[in-house]
Amino acid sequence: MIDFAGWVDTGGFVLDAALRAEDGQVVALLGPNGAGKTTLLRTVAGLRALDKGMISIGGEVVDDPGRGVLVPTERRGVGVVFQDHRLFPHLRVVDNVAFGPRSVGVDRATARRTACSWLERLGLTELARRRPAALSGGQAQRVALARALAASPRALLLDEPLAALDVQTRAAVQGELRTHLRGFAGPTLLVTHDPIEALLLADRIVVLEAGRVAQAGSTAEITARPSTPYVARLVGVNLYAGVASGGVVAVDGGGRLVVSDAPDGRVLAAVRPSAFTIHSGEPQASSARNLWSGTIIALVPLGDRIRVTVAGPPEAYVDVTAAAVAELGLAPGTPVWLSLKATDVTAYPGPVAS
Amino acid sequence: MSGSRRRSAKGGTRPPWVIVPPALLGVLFLLLPTLALLIRAPWSGLAHIYSHADATDGVDVGAALRLSVICSLLATAVSVVLGVPLAWLLARTRFPGRSLVRAVVTMPLVLPPVVGGLALLLGVGRRGVFGRFLHDWFGLSLSFTPAAVVIAQAFVAMPFLVVTLEGAFRSSNLGLEEAAATLGARRTRVFTHVTLPLVVPSLVAGVVLCWARALGEFGATVLFAGNVMRHTQTAPTGVLTAFQASPDEAVALSLPLMLIAVVVLVALRDKWLQAAVS
Repeated sequence: MIDFAGWVDTGGFVLDAALRAEDGQVVALLGPNGAGKTTLLRTVAGLRALDKGMISIGGEVVDDPGRGVLVPTERRGVGVVFQDHRLFPHLRVVDNVAFGPRSVGVDRATARRTACSWLERLGLTELARRRPAALSGGQAQRVALARALAASPRALLLDEPLAALDVQTRAAVQGELRTHLRGFAGPTLLVTHDPIEALLLADRIVVLEAGRVAQAGSTAEITARPSTPYVARLVGVNLYAGVASGGVVAVDGGGRLVVSDAPDGRVLAAVRPSAFTIHSGEPQASSARNLWSGTIIALVPLGDRIRVTVAGPPEAYVDVTAAAVAELGLAPGTPVWLSLKATDVTAYPGPVAS
Repeated sequence: MSGSRRRSAKGGTRPPWVIVPPALLGVLFLLLPTLALLIRAPWSGLAHIYSHADATDGVDVGAALRLSVICSLLATAVSVVLGVPLAWLLARTRFPGRSLVRAVVTMPLVLPPVVGGLALLLGVGRRGVFGRFLHDWFGLSLSFTPAAVVIAQAFVAMPFLVVTLEGAFRSSNLGLEEAAATLGARRTRVFTHVTLPLVVPSLVAGVVLCWARALGEFGATVLFAGNVMRHTQTAPTGVLTAFQASPDEAVALSLPLMLIAVVVLVALRDKWLQAAVS
């Protein structure tokens, strides 16, 4: 188990967060660049010290400035996979993987056997005698994972392990990573800025924004009820903050939403972009309880759909088919009407101030 | 095409005419003296000079060359043992007076070697500020011994190694050392198994530069160790003595030094120097 509750000041930027990863659990640390994800991971690894707070790994306190405890990295038993693999260029793959066991006093032959068995488990046996320079990005990252696991760590820390890979390789390594993380008995922290990666690999997601935990929960909770615009954008839903009263939400910045069920007071309302219906004129007969007009700001292709941004208020991302765009003659500047069923709006208590 | 006129046949930039004559003159200036030495070398008598210890003129060519090689290798070894840790400390740690230490380390690079020799004599010579204790307490007298040759050479040559390595330690990839620590490697193991192997190109460049400098050392040696045949006389100091009585021997002493200089240049140019510079 990793238990983190820490405060770090990196000269102007402050990380102030708490999180926990249970044994066998993969916790994704999701957030934009500069949110403090990597700083947090480095403190857990012991590559940076906390200014305040406490970190424990497997029940052992490894960092507690209040009591003067700071266990050095080499005695924390954390396996780290870095974004830039960090394989030792002067050692062959097998010796890279054997480096961990050798470092804790295992004899050469045993360490090599351990390394070979890990390479075999990850399907890398034929690369054993290569130097890191002769590996592709995907191969290097697989070897880096084997190296981390071969040191039999108490916890696994992955710092954007797939970010440096091209799209095709990433998908392949992602699948393998999923399998191997499942097989790891200890806790895993996965730093990523890719929500898909977080959803695919993690059991829990902790969203970090500007050094603070913006939201934490299971992947299902996060996608259904994002609590900040950043998270909403990540999971691809419209998010409106406002005040609810009697089933109507007065949206901050203008506009109102009829919802099927909402507690009175400050709420957040989430709407999937595919829930809207778009009309070229005011619809005469519609059962939808929400109806408003706006002007199209932008159209962006998104897979087999087109995401249309409509200025409100309230502003909305709307997903339509290419056929609909042609049929309705949608273009930037076109005035349109949006309709939305009350049952397609998920409202839940939100922060007091937006 | 006007663009093609600006390019010479081999693809480089065509130089402005003012550049060419001084550059050519510069090459001749550096080349001609060396050529002259090769032209005047007593090629037919060389074997005789190297194999027969003719000591009447105060120079034993074979002994001087031998002492030069042995002492310069020892001085290089001393420089490695002391200089590598020193370079690491200068590159990686912060301690009070670090810039002072760096100034002290680099001073022999700019100090006239003969001044260095005088400083050594006054410092660790038999009557020196610190040397007198060595003599009084342990009966040790360093000055005017073969050991003094090694000390003088190391004093002058070690900074080359330290400066080369300090840059390498400073610019080497700290990320790899972090990775080693996460794998359970203690600091000593990180140093010996990650840091050091990664600076090997710079280490080789530094060692070669250091050794070449030690081999050619004259000023500090002549003051601190003297120039006594078959005792403290090295090839460079022997050249000065031989030059007065038998110039052929001076040339015979110089040729191996030249050969070594060429070998060093080729070795450095090929691989190590580029790696160390980049």
